[in-house]
Amino acid sequence: MTRLLSGTAAITIATVAAPVLAAGPLQVSASVMVEAKERGTDGAVRVKLVPASRVVPGDRMTLVVAYRNTGGQPLSNVVIANPVPAALMFQAAAPGSPAPEVSADGKTFTTLSALRVAGPAGPRAAKPADVTHVRWRMTAPIAPGAEGRFAFNAVLK
Amino acid sequence: MFVKKTIAVLLAGTATLAADNAFAQSTGTAAGTSVDNTASVTYTVNGVNQSTTSNTASFVVDRKVNFTVVTDQTGFTQVTLGQQDAVTKFKVTNTTNGTQDFILDPDQNNIGVGILPGNDNFDVASLRAFVDSNNNGVYDANVDTQTFIDELAPDASVTVFVVGNVPSTQSAAIAWDSLHVIVAAGGTTGTRGSALIATDLNLANADNTVDIVFADNDSDGAAIGDIARNGEGRAYSGYEVGTRNVALSVNKSARVVADGVNLANFKAIPGATVEYCLTVTNATPLVAASSVVLTDVIPANTTYVPGSMAMGAPGTLGACVAAGSTEDDDADDGTESDGLTAAFDGGSKTVSARITTVPGLGSVATAFRVKIN
Repeated sequence: MTRLLSGTAAITIATVAAPVLAAGPLQVSASVMVEAKERGTDGAVRVKLVPASRVVPGDRMTLVVAYRNTGGQPLSNVVIANPVPAALMFQAAAPGSPAPEVSADGKTFTTLSALRVAGPAGPRAAKPADVTHVRWRMTAPIAPGAEGRFAFNAVLK
Repeated sequence: MFVKKTIAVLLAGTATLAADNAFAQSTGTAAGTSVDNTASVTYTVNGVNQSTTSNTASFVVDRKVNFTVVTDQTGFTQVTLGQQDAVTKFKVTNTTNGTQDFILDPDQNNIGVGILPGNDNFDVASLRAFVDSNNNGVYDANVDTQTFIDELAPDASVTVFVVGNVPSTQSAAIAWDSLHVIVAAGGTTGTRGSALIATDLNLANADNTVDIVFADNDSDGAAIGDIARNGEGRAYSGYEVGTRNVALSVNKSARVVADGVNLANFKAIPGATVEYCLTVTNATPLVAASSVVLTDVIPANTTYVPGSMAMGAPGTLGACVAAGSTEDDDADDGTESDGLTAAFDGGSKTVSARITTVPGLGSVATAFRVKIN
């Protein structure tokens, strides 16, 4: 079990399926959060992210990928790929996260605005719901000890 | 600055699902579906390609309980007094993301005034609820015997009949009823599951269990029969007595009106004239009796007094008819227009009178005279 804490926000891994992590300097942790409405003492309703323990269809979720270079060398050409689970409908990059490249087939990646998918009347502009894969390509190496996170929003179908 | 072109290795889809069509339905991903997310990463260290994957973050889709109960008929069911197995029809639709049982609770007591038109003034007996087992939309007494909804799939609907016996009480006019439905656990065919209880929102729960979240609406708005998010629903209907028997009675009285001897206190002696009075009374409120026919054979040893028949409202102080109309003796009533006709058949010595309408709680009197031989 690997639990990574980023500098500011504690990310609780919802369920750790205890995969055998490849030995390497780059540690990657995935987690799933769900938006929960919470009524504050002032009566205002705020939305906060909580671990995805109670999730029903229609809920808005945030899928987080956090990384950390635990080695002594800078890591280059980092590509983090995340297929969107089939039960989820991609929405957009989470606030504060760089926009990912997206794909509707897992092969061709581009920005959402440039992505086109086949339609009954020929190719059409892709909608967020068409996205099946996302990936982030990092242009700068990850320095030793550096860490960060990417995230995107999705809705449970 | 990339020294080498890096090829992202994409793993095949990592969501494992309970069934292929787990989210094909409009009610959403089926409860109990495990959704897993794994990220894969490629990178280079000093020009050497490396790859790794993240842990798998999983969650289990919880049960979003939602369903509707609606009245599946227009207006009240029209019934007759004493009718057995009178039916009101409802429809239950499961919009939960899972298969559910539903407990049926037919009710005619907890219904607020103003939900339904009219005034509830009686209860039907032996109120029962049955599922339309053969799905034909009609209550079949020996076929539709299931008393709870068993294993209703997501998005599926079923018709429910609420059945009761109408009493014979004359005053019965309108009975309201409702179908109260409680969501229950599915999973075992032929067995009624126990009522679901929403998982406490304040409890920390295990991620790999299926929580129960009530998402049902308030099915009756401002009425008190149902509230939102309680796993229950209610719809209203009723029975209306349309055709009914009226409580019709006939009272017959006689008085001597002349004896040819005395000037008052007439005696029933030969040659005396006796007036018979037949009073028809309808004791049912608001409902008229139509086409009432009276027949009366005159007593032996008496002779009908021709042209002595009169009909109209009952009189007072011993008078049979107050301001009635005199009726002719023949059977030809073509010129009659007041709805009151009478005839005397000399052969059978029978007086007959026909009253087109006796209004609710009204009376009509018929008088005729005979002479004692």
